Amino acid sequence: MSVVSELRSVRRPKGKRRPSALHKGDGKAAIFFLGPWFLGLILITAGPMAASAYLSFTDYSLLEAPNWIGLDNYTRMFEDPRLINSLKVTFMYVLISVPLQLAAALALALVLDRGLRGLAIYRSVYYLPSLLGGSVAIALLWRQVFGADGLVNAVLAWFGIEGEGWVSHPDYALGTLMILNIWTFGAPMIIFLAGLRQIPQMYYEAASIDGASKWRQFTSITIPLLTPIIFFNLVLQLINAFQTFTQAYVVSGGTGGPADSTMFYTLYLYQKGFASLDMGYASAMAWLLLAIVAGMTAVNFLVSKYWVFYND
Amino acid sequence: MTIKITSRAGARTMAWRSSAVLAAGVLTLAACSGDNGAAPEEEPEATGSATADGSSEAAEDQAEIRFSWWGSDERHTLTQEVIDLFMEKNPDITVVPDYTDWGGYWDKLATTVAGGDTPDVMTQEERYLTDYANRGVVGDLAALGLDTSMIDPSVIQSGTIDGKLAGVATGINAYAIVADPQIFEEAGVEMPDDTTWTWDDFVSISTEISDALGDDVYGVQDYGGNEAGFNIYARQHGESLYTEEGTLGYEDATLEAWWQHLVDLREAGAMPDGARSVEIAEGGPEQSLLGTNTGAMGMWWTNQLGAISAAAGRDLVLLRLPGESESERTGMYFKPAMFYSVAADTEYPEAATAFVDFLINDPEAGALILSDRGLNANTDVREAVSSQLDPLEQQAAEFLAALESEIVDGPPAPPNGAADVPEIAGRINEQVLFDTVSPAEAAAQFTSEASSAIGQ
Repeated sequence: MSVVSELRSVRRPKGKRRPSALHKGDGKAAIFFLGPWFLGLILITAGPMAASAYLSFTDYSLLEAPNWIGLDNYTRMFEDPRLINSLKVTFMYVLISVPLQLAAALALALVLDRGLRGLAIYRSVYYLPSLLGGSVAIALLWRQVFGADGLVNAVLAWFGIEGEGWVSHPDYALGTLMILNIWTFGAPMIIFLAGLRQIPQMYYEAASIDGASKWRQFTSITIPLLTPIIFFNLVLQLINAFQTFTQAYVVSGGTGGPADSTMFYTLYLYQKGFASLDMGYASAMAWLLLAIVAGMTAVNFLVSKYWVFYND
Repeated sequence: MTIKITSRAGARTMAWRSSAVLAAGVLTLAACSGDNGAAPEEEPEATGSATADGSSEAAEDQAEIRFSWWGSDERHTLTQEVIDLFMEKNPDITVVPDYTDWGGYWDKLATTVAGGDTPDVMTQEERYLTDYANRGVVGDLAALGLDTSMIDPSVIQSGTIDGKLAGVATGINAYAIVADPQIFEEAGVEMPDDTTWTWDDFVSISTEISDALGDDVYGVQDYGGNEAGFNIYARQHGESLYTEEGTLGYEDATLEAWWQHLVDLREAGAMPDGARSVEIAEGGPEQSLLGTNTGAMGMWWTNQLGAISAAAGRDLVLLRLPGESESERTGMYFKPAMFYSVAADTEYPEAATAFVDFLINDPEAGALILSDRGLNANTDVREAVSSQLDPLEQQAAEFLAALESEIVDGPPAPPNGAADVPEIAGRINEQVLFDTVSPAEAAAQFTSEASSAIGQ
């Protein structure tokens, strides 16, 4: 808005009040500046989305032109036990790892907010995993660390515990991926840090004069004033977690195994589309995922009225 | 590049493919190849000039064809040597290599086909060939005039789909037991006579070895997830995984018995537990029990003997699967290791065909490839290069030659949708390994999933 409004304020004082001409010039400038973004939106987002919406009603196989089959793909989803299982896996992952990740981020942010020496270094160090977390390299590393002969078992062996092959056992494989997600708490941590800095110091001073304990200060000042930030982080991380793909793909070698225990929704979608050549079904799955994420986000916003405190 | 779209239907298809590829890319977060610009390469003469020999010579002055394959670094190096040799002999043709590992190969191929950028010459596999042939992606090599006179008719048959030669076999393989004689010796167990041993012998020998050598050495590596092994087992019982009609051709009880052997082995401690088995399976030949000298036996394709022996650091031997003389008939068979196919819409059909011809019929190419893509299907080339094979490759060649007289028939080409079956078999096998389903439940589940995959 700033460019357009500045143009307005510059031209108005000249006295020529010709709103239509002014409007026309503004429009051109707006189109010029917005053009690249619109082009991107249409070509990279809206176009493919429209195509996938159409494909979701077809039997498209990637190798042949699609044929219209109506709602078949959508009705098939309800009878697909592997899809139901992939939803279970994904929801478990999201509902467990996101709250824990945010808790870890907040805890670290509180520690780092105390103004330690070399704070910038600590911040960078803790932020690093977030830069790396979604990458193939870290997922490969994870496989090694949690493998039967990996680092975790080597440490356990010092205490005489014989560990499992954590990533290759169906009871533990999902857990290792959750730990990976929790470990990448850097992004929400930075946002929490910024939020903590915004809380006026005088509240704490007043509270300590009144004799409030640190814990009381935390629950009665920090948390309430931080709720908008918590909410923001929660929405972002939930959406992110629903779209988890790389880690599961690499750690399970693309299979979602062992025995479908890490078969995330996105991974199943990918398998259906590219391995089973069932792109129509995969497109329908993508729309179901969109509906689920949109639904979760809407619920989040509705519930936020009851716990998020905007100090204004 | 000039864009020629020859018909309205063509234009529609193009629009389709590009938008579909974009959609696929965005919605599945997958990285697509960026060269969609090559899409409008479909020209009418590409498919029409099937048997023309010299007529379009002029158009081929600067033929550039792309050849795709999967495999290890070793294969990439030797294939590049073959390509260089071909280009030396055919200066008017440029061959662009396009390779990846097995896991990524099929995703990539499907995506490039959808993008209208099918590799001119591609490596295929029997479980996928039917899908690609039925959808008109690969052309008819017989119509393109490929010389197949020196290839066994039954091998040609394996690449023929609906009367068209969709792919020509690179070579042949058999699914067999690879065994480590040194571990047998250390355990004080005699090597079995593989022409007479039964499945019960197999379980008891594996158990003996595990018992004799303690915690770290096992009798056999998990093999239950490879449907080729089950196919042999079913054939021994007069059944088969697939029938000629493209349906499933076995009784659930047979499949149940197959998985029961596996459970027996695991419970006897002759095989690593589930988690360990899954981890080992993901490591390929290098991490296998045989490759790390921690197991006596495993089931592998005969052309993997060299790679596993290299990992083990000692020479291993091939054995027939158990039960070849136990039931109604023998079950082992020759499998075409891979196929070479030519894209139906290639711009340079003559150049592509000439390259395939070079790969299968040229003794110099054969001398470079040796048995990397199975024992050469061209019998002339096989003879010409036999003296150059190393001792392990020689062993594999002799093993296959000895099988020739025992094999009753080849299995029919897998039906449409068979590409999903390995994944189904592997996944259900994992459930058996972790004891979450019984062999009977596993058999029923496999039958139901496999039959829906092949569209019954």
